[in-house]
Amino acid sequence: MSQKGLEAQRNTPLNKKLKEIFWGAWCMQTNWNYERQMNTAYMYAMSHTIDRLYPEEDEIEKKKEAYRRHLEFFNITPQCAALTLGISAAMEEEYAADPENFDPSVINAVKVALMGPLSGIGDSLFQGTIRIIAMSIGISLAQQGNILGPILAALISIFTSAPITWYLGKLGYTRGQEFVRQMSESNLMEKVMFVCSIAGLFVIGGMSASLSNLTTPISFGETFVLQNVIDGILPKAIPLGMTWLMYYIIKSGKVKPMTVIIGCFIAGIILNYFGILAA
Amino acid sequence: MRLVQTLIVVLISVMMILDSRMFGRLNFERPLLTCTICGLLLGNLQVGLQVGATMELATLGMMSIGASGIDMNMGALVGCAICIMTGADIETALTVAVPMTLLCTVLDTIASVVRINFTHMCDNAVDAGDFAKAKRVDIVYGPVLYVLFTIIPVFLSVYFGADFVQSIASSVPEWVTSGVSLGANIIAFFGFAMLLSTMVNKNTVVYFFAGFLLAAYSGLDLTAIALIGIVLAVIIYTVKYVVVSNRPAVESNTSSTLDDLEDLDN
Repeated sequence: MSQKGLEAQRNTPLNKKLKEIFWGAWCMQTNWNYERQMNTAYMYAMSHTIDRLYPEEDEIEKKKEAYRRHLEFFNITPQCAALTLGISAAMEEEYAADPENFDPSVINAVKVALMGPLSGIGDSLFQGTIRIIAMSIGISLAQQGNILGPILAALISIFTSAPITWYLGKLGYTRGQEFVRQMSESNLMEKVMFVCSIAGLFVIGGMSASLSNLTTPISFGETFVLQNVIDGILPKAIPLGMTWLMYYIIKSGKVKPMTVIIGCFIAGIILNYFGILAA
Repeated sequence: MRLVQTLIVVLISVMMILDSRMFGRLNFERPLLTCTICGLLLGNLQVGLQVGATMELATLGMMSIGASGIDMNMGALVGCAICIMTGADIETALTVAVPMTLLCTVLDTIASVVRINFTHMCDNAVDAGDFAKAKRVDIVYGPVLYVLFTIIPVFLSVYFGADFVQSIASSVPEWVTSGVSLGANIIAFFGFAMLLSTMVNKNTVVYFFAGFLLAAYSGLDLTAIALIGIVLAVIIYTVKYVVVSNRPAVESNTSSTLDDLEDLDN
């Protein structure tokens, strides 16, 4: 076991390693496949560290073993991959320093243990909360013909995604396993999910009331206009009803998304033709 | 002229596909951004914004996580480009987007078979000790495959589709186009419900109604609703996790003040 690789890894500036982790995380879906999902991307992201750790010709078996380790099944929200990449890099370094006492199967065990909960948080934070807030603000301005809408949406997306990815990578690499232990002790996952679901659901509620409108043109003579009656009781009652109708269609699990989409267009044409609903 | 316009759309589509592949999904694949950029570069920003907003609304709830969900991003971009190039209605963009989405789903199934082979190429390269090749498969072959499977259908449909779409669009009666427009509004609710179904449970459904009622009765716009929602989430977090952990101290304080009051009475 040569010390040369370990020296090289330890002498590499921290910022360079963090940059590798950052881009590795963002490139997590370069070769997404049904068999092992993000496996080759994880291997690519780890390859910088592995190449530094095993530079000598006689270490090639060790190097192959490390590459294979990171070709296992992996799937996560790309931004959150920075955390596991950081932890994996730190653990690979530990393993190279002390191969006698360090069990390398722990490296993958940690990855696998983290990807479920981190994807849960990551998807509800990035796809379910940040994206929804950014896009709904963007849509409401763009509908008025204001280009600030898309610009704001882009800025919100970039200036949340980039710093979070960078910070997670740093946290993972510098605090590593200690952090994993702390996280499970302090219920951090549960807390983040809780905050996301409140803010997210609040916005979804607001969205179904204000982003897309459905009204009814039904009326009997001049005096009875159904929409006025609805507005007097609960404005946007039709959008609310439609949201929950769709919710139960999804929950029933019997209809494929593409069928619903085509069905919506057909329903739109029929309901519009008979004057039951209008946009 | 049409060739130049088509090539611009192709470039936008490259940005669209690489956004989720190499930039951690910065939302530059979403219709709101791709259509706006398309409008800007093809010289009709207003149509770009309108189509972008309409398509974004219709697909807002469709999370493209991993393999699940439907990806209408390409359909939206192509629909927007055709709309601007032919001067057709916004409804036309919707009519184009749906078949394009079906086509995308079929193409991606083919591409996914190739990507599984890439994974095996990677395994073999590592076994042979050819690490450079293993890395190349991931960082070059993968993205190139994604880009090819995006730009070819985009180019063909924008370059040849415009005439085709225009001839259909001019012959479609008004009741169909306004019906399609209503349909797009209904699809938006399918999206909202999809989001809802991933996040809601018995304990949190009340926050959905809080947001809904505030927006419905006050008419506040979504920027205000979003900011209020974030503040509300922080308040409830504080009450649930921060105050609760301090509760023993608080309780002992109140009980001591009660004692003080009793003392005063005596």
